[in-house]
Amino acid sequence: MINCTRRNFLIGSLSSVFFSGMSFPLASNYKKKKNLIIINLRGGMDGLSAVPVIGDKNLIKQRKELILDETLRLNTDFALHPKLEFFHELWKNNQASVIHASSIPYTGRSHFDGQNLMESGGRVPYQKKTGWLGRGMMSAGYVGEGLALALPMPLLLRGVPLNDNYYPAKGVMPSRYVLDNLFSSYKISGEKNLETVLDIIRNRPVSMMTAGTSRDIKSLAKRTALLMRDENGPSVGVFELDGFDTHAAQGKEDGLLADQLEDIDSILKTLKENLKDSFKNTLILTLTEFGRTIRQNGGNGTEHGWGGAILMAGGLLKKSQVYADWPGLKKGDLYEGRDLKSTTDARSVYMSAMATCFDLEPEKIKKEVFWNENLQDLSQKLFNS
Amino acid sequence: MKKSFFRKVGFGLSLNEQVNGDPLEWAQQQMDSIPSFSWKGDIPSEKDMRKKHRDRIYYDRKVLRKKYKNDKVKYRAEKQKLRIQTGQLFFENNELAIRHNEAIKGNSPVFERFWHFWGNHFAISEKDMLPEYATGPYQRETIRPNMIKTFEDMVKDATISWAMINHLDNSQSVGPQSKWGMKSRETINENHARELLELHTVSPSIGYSQEDVIQMTYVMTGWQSKWTKSKLETGDIWFNYEHHQPNEKKILGKIYKAQGKHELFSVIKDLVNKEECKKFIATKLCRHFITDNPSEEMIKPVIEAWNKSGGYLPAIHKAVIKSAYENADMCKKFQQPETWILQISRMFGLGWVPRSNLMKYDFKKRPSDYQEQISENLRELGHLPYRPKQPNGWSDFEEDWISPELIIRRLIMASKISNYGLSRDSEVIKMIVENNFDNPNEIFDLISNIDQNDHRNKFALICNAPAMLKA
Repeated sequence: MINCTRRNFLIGSLSSVFFSGMSFPLASNYKKKKNLIIINLRGGMDGLSAVPVIGDKNLIKQRKELILDETLRLNTDFALHPKLEFFHELWKNNQASVIHASSIPYTGRSHFDGQNLMESGGRVPYQKKTGWLGRGMMSAGYVGEGLALALPMPLLLRGVPLNDNYYPAKGVMPSRYVLDNLFSSYKISGEKNLETVLDIIRNRPVSMMTAGTSRDIKSLAKRTALLMRDENGPSVGVFELDGFDTHAAQGKEDGLLADQLEDIDSILKTLKENLKDSFKNTLILTLTEFGRTIRQNGGNGTEHGWGGAILMAGGLLKKSQVYADWPGLKKGDLYEGRDLKSTTDARSVYMSAMATCFDLEPEKIKKEVFWNENLQDLSQKLFNS
Repeated sequence: MKKSFFRKVGFGLSLNEQVNGDPLEWAQQQMDSIPSFSWKGDIPSEKDMRKKHRDRIYYDRKVLRKKYKNDKVKYRAEKQKLRIQTGQLFFENNELAIRHNEAIKGNSPVFERFWHFWGNHFAISEKDMLPEYATGPYQRETIRPNMIKTFEDMVKDATISWAMINHLDNSQSVGPQSKWGMKSRETINENHARELLELHTVSPSIGYSQEDVIQMTYVMTGWQSKWTKSKLETGDIWFNYEHHQPNEKKILGKIYKAQGKHELFSVIKDLVNKEECKKFIATKLCRHFITDNPSEEMIKPVIEAWNKSGGYLPAIHKAVIKSAYENADMCKKFQQPETWILQISRMFGLGWVPRSNLMKYDFKKRPSDYQEQISENLRELGHLPYRPKQPNGWSDFEEDWISPELIIRRLIMASKISNYGLSRDSEVIKMIVENNFDNPNEIFDLISNIDQNDHRNKFALICNAPAMLKA
């Protein structure tokens, strides 16, 4: 089995060996499996509340009802929302960091276009039909390595075949005969999508098909960690969190945003606890379609903006840091006089994260995933290779 | 024979259902009038539902929270009691029963399919207890009556409906130069204006700017629910002049003189007549009924019907139906979970909707299992029609509906429904399949080796056959 790494093996035989849970000999120079976990924060997370800049007069003036009275300190310039308590613990151990003043290049402020682009990685909404993560996995030969913890499959993972998604069902599956019979029927009638998906279902471990499993965010995080810490389990996970569109009652330490940040924190905590040693080889990264206006609106909320914050956690981080080319919050420094500017293209972070986790050259990803756009390689600054 | 057409634009044919004459005509004539609901149970008015909604939020916010502010446990218990007393856990089930009863048993299934389409186009997403109280009545009283009017009429009514105004935060949008804005320093909320442009009418393809969105927001300032101390945000929609941004506005290059509440209607009139709007809507209709990526040839007749009729919806619908009929053999459309289960229910006579006497609610305890049957099943299928996650509604693209988990749900559901009182008689099943599929043998072959008494697995196969998943 010369040169037959696990990846090559999988690509070479698209049969479902992987899903059947069978193990096979690993090459002796096998490198530890690395995990990349994405948390989609839908609605546009307010980076200026999650990671506020300390003592900025402009922010204080524009956000009288939203400025936090209590925060967790990160460094001399930035603080953390108190509900990100576990994130703060990780920070102290060099296992959490933040990219600030960052977003995708899209400035149109629409959720749907923005979310489409945050997942496709393109510039024109709905133009690209695959996700940057799916394409990156394809470049790396990560076939059958993706897992979405959601009922519909996110666009983000499209572009590579044989992804799995998991969100426990209630009730009893039909017999093996039914699955096999339908599989042939989809094959004969040329229903490619159905064929692919049914093959994944046919080969799912029995423990995942048991009725009555819980679906709350902690249970999903736990299941993800259990699957991903397995050397033969998936290497890429995608979570979905809604509710970041805080137009009203955004609140301070205890408002709508606080509840959402608590969910992020709880996912991180559960993942860390259950990934155990694999946390060292894991990178967790948040995505959101845009940040929010510096100024509060009529409903003690914020409007759709541009620049925001990316939260990262895991052992693959180089150190605790707020990485930012800070543009400032004076009127003249703002985008269109209202939004924090994005000075770091979020896609540079995505590219560098994939380079690190998939062991690929950033140049290759730039070319094969991001159409050779002018993205920065931040791998050395942000991650341990 | 184009038998799939009956599912492409409808829910298929039930055992004794016959279409005499031209199927195209059968479908098109359903567009001319609004069928009244045949549901024998309660059909509450939007106004009454708003009262329930009001009671729910008023007693929670103004009474319980104060009374039990130091007793978390008591507060939770009392709140649950309030939920039951105000029907919070019941009404969505009732709305689904009304909707599904009509789809399964009604005489105008094609009309129902278009109703479902428009309700999803002007979607109210899962937020602020709207699905519990407001979305169903909004679909029945705002969307449905407009289906025999113009698109412009529908846009107007949907835009100033209580459900949409509250869904998209327009009550909180105040013109900064309005009388109230000057005093309070409150300002605009762009949400509703943006969605009116992006999702409901012209779409981003027209290329509006941020300034256009702001100007549209100004036009809409003042449209809000009438806030009072006793009704809170559940008051009727009115135009509050004191919140309205004064002066002229400029949208997509056109100047609109200051004319208060009439500004919105002038702008809507122009928006619906933009070519981009017609194309956006025509494409979306064709995508929903014909294929994920409709061609110019499919869309063109719909736009022509629009132009010829001045945006009269029945004329537009008929053009879509004709296009669907002509393409019934070439283009198969993957059916969304709700449509799929309704097709199975109508064709096989499934007891999907509980009888109306079982849907009587006493407001004293949690809804029964029967009462929650539809919503529970739809939740499992991943498609509660009145709970889209975002204001853009449920997706019309196949790839959003084919994933391991979503297909697992269909497999489980199909084997479960063999207990829902459908005919298990092989001869009857044979007739139904022959009545609805051009190549019934494809389905017969699939079940040929299965034990005829193994109903669970038999229906899992029939319902998940390629020809059944697509139409």
